[in-house]
Amino acid sequence: MKAFDYVAPRDLGAAVALLAEHGASAKILAGGTDLLVELEAAARVPKVVVDVSRLKELKGIAVTDGGLRIGAASTHNEIMRSPDLRNLFPALVEAAHTIGAVQTRNLGTLAGNLVTCVPSMDSGPALLALEAEVGIMSPRGAKRMPLAELFVRPRKTSLKPDEILTEIVIPKANLGKPSAFLKFGLRKGQALALVNVGVAAWIKKDCFVAPRIALGAVAPTVMRATRAEAFLDGKKVSEEAMAEAGRIAATEAKPISDFRASADYRRDLIETLTKRALATAVARAQQSAKEAVA
Amino acid sequence: MIDVTVTINGVPRKASVPAETTLLKLLREHFMLTGSKLGCDVGDCGACTVIVDGKPVNSCLMLAAQVDGREVITIEGVGKREHLHPIQKMFEEAGAVQCGFCGPGVIMSAKALLDEKPDPSVADIRDALSGNLCRCTGYTKMIEAVQDAARILRGETAAKPRQLELSK
Repeated sequence: MKAFDYVAPRDLGAAVALLAEHGASAKILAGGTDLLVELEAAARVPKVVVDVSRLKELKGIAVTDGGLRIGAASTHNEIMRSPDLRNLFPALVEAAHTIGAVQTRNLGTLAGNLVTCVPSMDSGPALLALEAEVGIMSPRGAKRMPLAELFVRPRKTSLKPDEILTEIVIPKANLGKPSAFLKFGLRKGQALALVNVGVAAWIKKDCFVAPRIALGAVAPTVMRATRAEAFLDGKKVSEEAMAEAGRIAATEAKPISDFRASADYRRDLIETLTKRALATAVARAQQSAKEAVA
Repeated sequence: MIDVTVTINGVPRKASVPAETTLLKLLREHFMLTGSKLGCDVGDCGACTVIVDGKPVNSCLMLAAQVDGREVITIEGVGKREHLHPIQKMFEEAGAVQCGFCGPGVIMSAKALLDEKPDPSVADIRDALSGNLCRCTGYTKMIEAVQDAARILRGETAAKPRQLELSK
């Protein structure tokens, strides 16, 4: 690795001040599972690496007044173990479990996965289906925006060099919305998704209400299948309706052919995974309805 | 240069290293703890696995500066040649080691698992070892070795007899 300076700021304010001072010549280090790999091979390294991995402001997973807040530097392993997430948003736990392996899940962070902005990221579809928002801090203060606005194109987010992602929030209205995540890779461990799907839907009077379907690895960024969602909204729960939503979702995606899979194969996967993920979310909705009665 | 104070295998140590030094490089080249192996250097192979504050991590993906004030356990802290850890002993007995390069990393992953979960399922073991690549033996014997070690660590008597008796 080429030489750089390392700073571990004592708090978020100090971190933001460093980013303001150094701009594009600074890089944020959280989990390091992508950054250190990048630096290892890089001809040019940043002037200063700002280590935010131990900042308390970026840690913690808890239900707050605004919804469920996940600190940006929460690791995938922390997400898998969070009782709140296991209980309220199994899709996020499932997605975290498919990232890398134990060693990388103990280092890699949720925000780190999002800011790589690769189309195959596993955190994206589940969070998009749950209409997550992201909190951002900069010298101009704190702001909040929908997660979808973070993704610009492969490896390009809308973050400015002096902005740092501080939290991911699932809005209060979606607390406990039944969700599911499925990924298809070429192996179980350490494999990139050929396709991944996150879904969330309320089931009321046996009908889909506000269904959300998000797809990864099949477009330049993680995307919502809005036509499939519109089709499903208000429909009675049935195998046919879920299968049709899968077919529509497959037509909305723009998968590419590469050495991992052909575009046609990826479209077939979207159909199947969407249908199965919806069925899982429905089963979870029915289970929690049963528990509510009991 | 960055000053690092870190507890390694129970012993407080200090070092002053360039900022771009990885934890793996700190261990191998500064403290001469060469049990942790440099395989891929990009977090895929797991040969560099060490335990930091109780959690297994790829030491090639951490900067030395990031373990300041923390506790690191390496393979050198698990057992000694004359006093092997049950996991090491069972790896030997099960024939889970061929060239041995991946061994230290696999054993660190197994140790982290058993420290937390004394009675893991095969699925748990597979998941815990999924970040460690072995290019010689395959993984079945490793999984058996971890199961055997778990039995011993739980205080159960003998490990189940091996299916293949090589003697006679």
